[in-house]
Amino acid sequence: MRKSAIYKYLVFLGILLIYPLFSNSSWLAIGTTFIIYSIVALSQDIVLGKAGMFDMGHAMFFGIGAYISAIMNTVFNIPILWAIPVVVLISAIISVLMAMPTIHLRGDYLLVVTIGFNIIFQQVIKNNVFGLTGGPNGIFGIERPSLFGFEFSSDLSVYYLAFFVLILILIMIKNLETSAVGRAFHYLRLDNLAAQCVGINTRFYRLFAFALGASIASIAGVLFAIQYTVISPESFNLMQSILFFTIVIVGGMSSIPGVLLGTFLMFVLPEIFRDFNTYRYLVFGVMMILTMILRPRGIIPKKFGIIPKYLLKDK
Amino acid sequence: MYIFIQQVINGLTIGSIFALIALGYTMVYGTMKFINFAHGDLVALSAFVGLTIYTTVVSSFSNSIIAILISLIITIVIISIIGYLLERIAYRPLRKAPRLSAVVSALGAGMVFQNAIMLIWGPNPHYYPADIIPNKIWHFGDSVISLIQILILLLSFFIMIGLYILVNKTRTGRAIRAAAINQDAARLMGINVDAIIVIIFALGSTLGAVGGMFLGMFYRGITFNMGWNYGISAFVAAIIGGIGNIPGAMLGGIFLGLFNSLIAGYISSTWADAFTYILLILILIFKPTGILGERVAEKV
Repeated sequence: MRKSAIYKYLVFLGILLIYPLFSNSSWLAIGTTFIIYSIVALSQDIVLGKAGMFDMGHAMFFGIGAYISAIMNTVFNIPILWAIPVVVLISAIISVLMAMPTIHLRGDYLLVVTIGFNIIFQQVIKNNVFGLTGGPNGIFGIERPSLFGFEFSSDLSVYYLAFFVLILILIMIKNLETSAVGRAFHYLRLDNLAAQCVGINTRFYRLFAFALGASIASIAGVLFAIQYTVISPESFNLMQSILFFTIVIVGGMSSIPGVLLGTFLMFVLPEIFRDFNTYRYLVFGVMMILTMILRPRGIIPKKFGIIPKYLLKDK
Repeated sequence: MYIFIQQVINGLTIGSIFALIALGYTMVYGTMKFINFAHGDLVALSAFVGLTIYTTVVSSFSNSIIAILISLIITIVIISIIGYLLERIAYRPLRKAPRLSAVVSALGAGMVFQNAIMLIWGPNPHYYPADIIPNKIWHFGDSVISLIQILILLLSFFIMIGLYILVNKTRTGRAIRAAAINQDAARLMGINVDAIIVIIFALGSTLGAVGGMFLGMFYRGITFNMGWNYGISAFVAAIIGGIGNIPGAMLGGIFLGLFNSLIAGYISSTWADAFTYILLILILIFKPTGILGERVAEKV
């Protein structure tokens, strides 16, 4: 990583670090949710931006994380942090099972399949399957976690817990970009056939990207359950998936600063303009169109080395 | 048995509405290869515009059928113009951009439509008057069919025949099919592809406007956010039939309508959506191009 980039990340993390000092409780909640949504958006970016698979059902994995941890906590009384390994494992397995028969589909078909899975997931939790998911009301009374005797009972401590997880995820994704897996994803996105021809096991890496994205999103789901202590199906519906999808495209595919900025624009900005309640989403839609027209590759597009312009191919 | 016949009648009615909406998706996808996510909200908008025009003009006509036809025509004109503007403003600048940018632009446009409806007509549901079509019912056996269902079935049938003739038997239709196969080659053959795309959007909006008003007349209650649900169902119908394929969208719409209403009648209405998408996923796994779609070789 270049030095200037490191400074930018440090400034960003520094702002997040001192943000609670300047915010009241409702803005602190927005801050925590911003961090959680950033994690989901970053995991969506692994599937959509880095591996180039059109996934418009990512809120499902977010929801799987939240629901499994909440069920483990409220029904089986397992401390919620202990649920994380189980959650990661289960959502990775589900994502692989889901992706195995469908992964070969072309872009738009995959997009529709993932939408379909998200809607099926919605119906499953809304219809209170096995009497565990609480139906349309969701699950109440999720316990806040404790670690080495420290209780994460205050909202501030949950904020810093989420902040800590975000740092871990950022480090992981930075490492991913420079690893063999990250390069495989990159080739996969640029040209699937060419990637296959140079000996990349595209099927394996596509499943790997799905499983990785799903696990990270499910960790964010656990954080979401911890933050609100209440979860309901609406937090994981198709609209949320579209939000995460849009965040990645508006911010810039496979660009970490882009995704973070996208999360800010798509989630925090509407909260700031809450007073203009009725007009804000109208303006918001216009802004989405304008952003795409003015910056079709996203607000902060990722630059891959120095490539002459005439070699760049739009797809 | 009467449940079966009743559900088939209901399924055919809703299926033909799905088919009308699905045609808008499939024609745009066929030429421009992108999912026009704003189409469903355009359909919702046309339901509202149609209702408003109907309530303004109904007093000046003695017969409500004529009032409906007049308001249908005015709605079609308005929605086609909006469809053209949508293409001109939100999609044309993005022809050369990465494909997902156009998708996000469409999502933004859908959001604009949805919130514009909410700002103009308010967030509460509106209702089409109950006497908009004389409330006649015919019994055969234990099943019933209403006049509105017959009208919807007949009108959709004629509209689809008309579209089929337009696409397959006219010069414009040939140009539309050529542009769908290869835009650059079509341009080299002297076809004005931009004009074709405008025609496609106008046609799709027309069919969507008819579908939207039918939805209002059949279900009566319309809400500002209904477009998304019907839109996504219609889009699923387009995929089941084979996306980009015009007869496929008609077939897929009817098929999906029948499937939905039979599931709701025999199994469970709370699981209807899940069954629809399980069907969709199975179709995509075993026949990824849909019922009528042709296999497209991957370009290298």
